[in-house]
Amino acid sequence: MRLGYVIDKKSCIGCHACAVACKVENNLPDGVWWNRILTEGGENRDTPKGTYPNLSMGNIAVSCQHCDNPACVKVCPVGATYKDEATGAVRQDYDKCIGCRMCMAACPYTGVRSFNWEEPVYAIGQDMGDVSVAKHQKHTVEKCTMCWHRLAQGLQPACIEVCPARVRYFGDFDDPDSEVSKLIREREYMQLLPDSGTSPSVYYLV
Amino acid sequence: MSDNKQAASAAKTGAPCKAGKALNIAIAVSAVITVAGIALWMVQLSGGMIQTGMRDLDSWGLYIMSFMFFVGLSAGGLIISSMPKAFGIKGFGGISKVAVWTSICCTVCAIGLVVVDLGQPIRLWELFVYSNLTSPLMWDVLVIGTYLVLSLFYLWAQIRFEQGKMRAVALRVISVVALVVAVLVHSVTAWILGLNISHEFWHTALLAPWFVSSALVCGTALVLAVVIALRAAGYFDVADDNLVKMAKLLGAFVCVDLYFFGCDLLTTGYPLSEGGVGIVEMLTSGVLAPFFWVEVIGCIACAVVCFTPKLRSNALLIVASVLAIVGIFCKRVQLIVGGFQVPNLDMPTVLTDHAALGGYDAYGSFASLYANSVYAPAPIEFGVVAGVFALGVLMLLLGVKHLPLKSAE
Repeated sequence: MRLGYVIDKKSCIGCHACAVACKVENNLPDGVWWNRILTEGGENRDTPKGTYPNLSMGNIAVSCQHCDNPACVKVCPVGATYKDEATGAVRQDYDKCIGCRMCMAACPYTGVRSFNWEEPVYAIGQDMGDVSVAKHQKHTVEKCTMCWHRLAQGLQPACIEVCPARVRYFGDFDDPDSEVSKLIREREYMQLLPDSGTSPSVYYLV
Repeated sequence: MSDNKQAASAAKTGAPCKAGKALNIAIAVSAVITVAGIALWMVQLSGGMIQTGMRDLDSWGLYIMSFMFFVGLSAGGLIISSMPKAFGIKGFGGISKVAVWTSICCTVCAIGLVVVDLGQPIRLWELFVYSNLTSPLMWDVLVIGTYLVLSLFYLWAQIRFEQGKMRAVALRVISVVALVVAVLVHSVTAWILGLNISHEFWHTALLAPWFVSSALVCGTALVLAVVIALRAAGYFDVADDNLVKMAKLLGAFVCVDLYFFGCDLLTTGYPLSEGGVGIVEMLTSGVLAPFFWVEVIGCIACAVVCFTPKLRSNALLIVASVLAIVGIFCKRVQLIVGGFQVPNLDMPTVLTDHAALGGYDAYGSFASLYANSVYAPAPIEFGVVAGVFALGVLMLLLGVKHLPLKSAE
């Protein structure tokens, strides 16, 4: 199995709902975002590039790319970040992480890995999201888990379900009949930083 | 740190009769700074690394720069002292044991700097239980560990040899092994950065040989400065021609290092690709320009002093050595900061105080974030580094006081 995402960039409205759903579902501490919307356009967030009337703007939702050839897994000295062979997910073991941040230096996708620089602080003073989410730990690296706890319950990741424009798809790329396989077979797509040779499991329809 | 350095150099350059007392004071001062550094490290661990200047977008800082710098000092020092023995050529007088001890102290500093950089130092044991052998960091742990043990063994072997309890062949074999491991230790350190495709600035095959040449520069410079200082303090006598030989060698190493720098700049900039030109501009006129020019000008000045017979006075040679050491440290700053200064995905997005320290605006623009250096060390980092450095100085001085490091000649 090779689980991954397809995101329809053409229809994404840049509402940040997937980013917020991720933050709530996974009880992310203050200052931590596993999923971000990047504005493809002007210098500032949600601004277009060009001059009127020739303006263009797009959105790219970026989180861990769950690469087939992950740069982070190779460099982790203790194997705290590893590839789950059964699902293709790149996972992070908080209990094992020694906090050396080698994976953050090795990952070419700027900002998808985050480090808990302090004892996790939560905006509303109590935990949010699913009870089965692994507890966040100070001084360890974390990132998108593909909502591992939801997969275990037979559910899709939170970002998929919440998307109001329904531009996010999740499934198995090894299964030729899956929705995601069909989409990348029939539609034109792009991937982030293909030159890095990481073979990401996130495809953007363009 | 500077107080301590002054005290240390006072101990070395003071009149011989006062040297013993000054040495004791310097030992006490460095011990106090070491303890203060450990206390600051505890503050960092309990209050969180949010107190440092490091953030998600610049996840390594002064600690890793200093780590790489100290590995270089150490490897260079050992190479310079083991090379003559390994190749059976005439050495630099009785400096070998001092050079090896200096290396050992630097290795301890390097290990200390990695430990203070870890978020979970209490999990260090995992390195030996869950070793992932594809990680360059794991290679470094293994090689540095071997290297530390080997240096200690090498020092012991030299002392045994001088007592006539070890054969010359055995010592020579150990010298060769020490030389190989010293070259390896800095190559592996370079690979921690150079094997990552994630940062264009790091990803070059030149990095490992370049690290070795930089190690030779700062290692030779350190040994030269320490030997001149110890000689002036009357600790031992070293003939002038040995110092001249070492100075010439330093000059040659500096030239090789600058040559590598030139090769790298040309290869990066020549294709006129957006990324390559960005890196050359960042170094020569951008946020890293001060570190670039201090290194280039300092190294050229060092070479001039080393190659001009009239300029080779004690004072100027020490200045030249310091310039070379500072220059190589500047290179480490360029490497670490420069790597993070070039983001691969630089489109505006949500930025928080965990992603970057200040400098970003509410619009999530990367342009304002990267207009200045993405990283600036916080006071606590200087304090902790000072503590680790003081530990090295403490070991060095205790060695000078208690170990038989003087020349037997």
